[in-house]
Amino acid sequence: MNGQYASLLIALPLISAFFVPLIKGLGNKAVKYYLILITAIQAGIAGWVFSEVYRTGEPIIVMAGGWRPPVGINLYIGHFAALFVLIVAIVSFFMAIFSLKAVETEPIDKYAMLFLLLMLGATGMIATGDIFNLFVFMEITSITAYALTAYNKTGEAAEASLKYMILGGIGSSFFLIGIALIYGATGTLNMAHLAILAGGIDAKVAEAGLALLIFGLAVEAELFPLNAWAPDAYQAAPHPITAMFSAFVVKAGIYAAARLLYIMQGASGWSSVLKLVVTMAALTVFVAEFAALRQKDVKRMIAYSSISQIGMIAFALALGTQAGVEAGVFHMVNHAIVKALLFLAVGYVGIALGGTRIENFAGLGKRMPLTALAVTVGSLSAIGLPMFNIFWSKLRILLAGVDAGYTWGVALILGASVVEAVYYLRLIHTIWFTGEGERIRENLAIGTIAVFLVLLIIFIGIYPNYFWTVSQKAGEDIFNVVQYVKNVPLMGVGP
Amino acid sequence: MLKRSLAIITILIIGYWLAQSLAGVPFGEDKMLVGQYYLDHVKDQTGAVNAVTAIVVNYRGFDTLGEVTVLFIASTGVGALLWRKRKKRTAKTEGSVVLTTGSELLFPFVVLFGSYIFIHGHLTPGGGFPGGATIATAFLLLYMAFVSYEIPHKAFEKTEGLAGMGYVLVGLTGLAIGGYFLFDWIWQTWQWGTGNIGRLFSGGFIPIIYTLIGIKVGTELSGIIDNMLKEEVRE
Repeated sequence: MNGQYASLLIALPLISAFFVPLIKGLGNKAVKYYLILITAIQAGIAGWVFSEVYRTGEPIIVMAGGWRPPVGINLYIGHFAALFVLIVAIVSFFMAIFSLKAVETEPIDKYAMLFLLLMLGATGMIATGDIFNLFVFMEITSITAYALTAYNKTGEAAEASLKYMILGGIGSSFFLIGIALIYGATGTLNMAHLAILAGGIDAKVAEAGLALLIFGLAVEAELFPLNAWAPDAYQAAPHPITAMFSAFVVKAGIYAAARLLYIMQGASGWSSVLKLVVTMAALTVFVAEFAALRQKDVKRMIAYSSISQIGMIAFALALGTQAGVEAGVFHMVNHAIVKALLFLAVGYVGIALGGTRIENFAGLGKRMPLTALAVTVGSLSAIGLPMFNIFWSKLRILLAGVDAGYTWGVALILGASVVEAVYYLRLIHTIWFTGEGERIRENLAIGTIAVFLVLLIIFIGIYPNYFWTVSQKAGEDIFNVVQYVKNVPLMGVGP
Repeated sequence: MLKRSLAIITILIIGYWLAQSLAGVPFGEDKMLVGQYYLDHVKDQTGAVNAVTAIVVNYRGFDTLGEVTVLFIASTGVGALLWRKRKKRTAKTEGSVVLTTGSELLFPFVVLFGSYIFIHGHLTPGGGFPGGATIATAFLLLYMAFVSYEIPHKAFEKTEGLAGMGYVLVGLTGLAIGGYFLFDWIWQTWQWGTGNIGRLFSGGFIPIIYTLIGIKVGTELSGIIDNMLKEEVRE
């Protein structure tokens, strides 16, 4: 089949979001099932793209409008994008099913549109090969995220959304200034073309431009000084949306930052920007873990934990070595699985028992054994115990960190992991060894998703090889810029 | 005082840093790598006389599709956040006769001019976004002049969705005919209007897309105005 059909990954969520106003008269149930149907089709397309890319080993280049880059915009669906577009689609599908139970607030038609567009934005950010197009998709992602954060219409939600909106607005303005600087210096917006021209940019412009781009993306990617919005937004957003934020919205931002970093490899001042990111990432891990320790609300605690794991990914991606990037991508995959599971289970507890405060978790092992099991496996995996998936990726990150000479960063992460173990074990203790309660019937669909994710975590924990090879290929896609440039069919423009 | 002076100093440092890096950007020199290509080929490749709209809709149409989506999200988001079971306008002061009559008279002219802007996107400055915004101004005028005016919601919402779908469908038709998403099939496959450059019926699919965008933006911004002007009523 023609590779250009991969553009359906963008076209399908868009056209289906525009279609929602026409079917909203059919009632809430219909809109929710429609959402499930569309995300299932999207997962099917993403699965086809994934198998195509990994079978041939060649990236799919979608050229919008038939114009060759850099004149037109191209999507670059290489090993990384194929993998993550699949993850985005599958997580969205799961969360669409979860939404059946989790979202009762009106108006459901608007929720469905925003849900689809959040998925679209993340897909676009991961797939695009053009920096201005990246900005557009980033705006789609973040503006949907603002609206969805405030969707529950409580005072807290409004406050969280406002914080997010102000920070995000400032971040994207900086991002736009960065694009303007780089465009002014090179005359092109295409990433592959930029990679070729990066060496010739004036040192000051390159440094400022790159720093502004990274700064802008750091808001989306929740790096330390700019992540104040995240815990509030995670807590206030509807449960399925929180899982989506943690599983792929942040990852899209962090991937975009990594992609831009490596594209600009040739520019002078590159290594100092790299050092800045490593420092920010290490601080993110440290601060977020200690903040998580103090939380009384489980959803908020996991939100902080998610931020710290993201810091770890950023740390690995900014090491500047191939081993680091591969480890970072592996951690991205594992973290997406674990956090999707945790937010699903915790959200379900919140719905069933009315709130996610730690008291509600007492006796959960007796009341909702399946959900309790899901939370436990997710927690143990997040700590990084052997036999669970995150063990392998954390190990790889630490080894890569030592290899790259950032022993202080590794020490900081290891120290923070001890803190992480403390609060997760406290949660597990509360679930299994305190409290009493009646059995509550658990929802079959949510239970099935949870069991599937639990099995996946244990499977990767025991046989990490298949997923490790996939992540290695995806990591090489980011790191090996020469190959990236070779894959994009640039046309010669200019003198 | 201390806070303010610290802020000023920080901003000055950032400003200096940006100015320093701006000095490294070669303004006025020939850095038009891709830009020159657009200027040289815009007429024969897209059929549009207006280079900006040709780039925005045709060469980089993907971005415009994204921008249309951003606006759609904004209106959906406002709709979601201000949603109440029953909402009504609660304006109290009636406008003067001069205002209401003037607005009524002006309304068709503003709509006409807005349509003119988006229909002539490939020929004159403007396009779908300014045209749509102009049309929304016409509805704003009615909202301001009349106490009880309301747009027809059901119709507006459906039109908005249909216009957006139309845009994606034009793109998908390109995928089916030309093999690429958002491929300009009218100009490049059918070569319709090749002898007609600079006149109304030319410009490939640019006028079609701009008409759709104009309708979409017009209905969307009117919807935002409507949502923001109404308040909840309790029985």
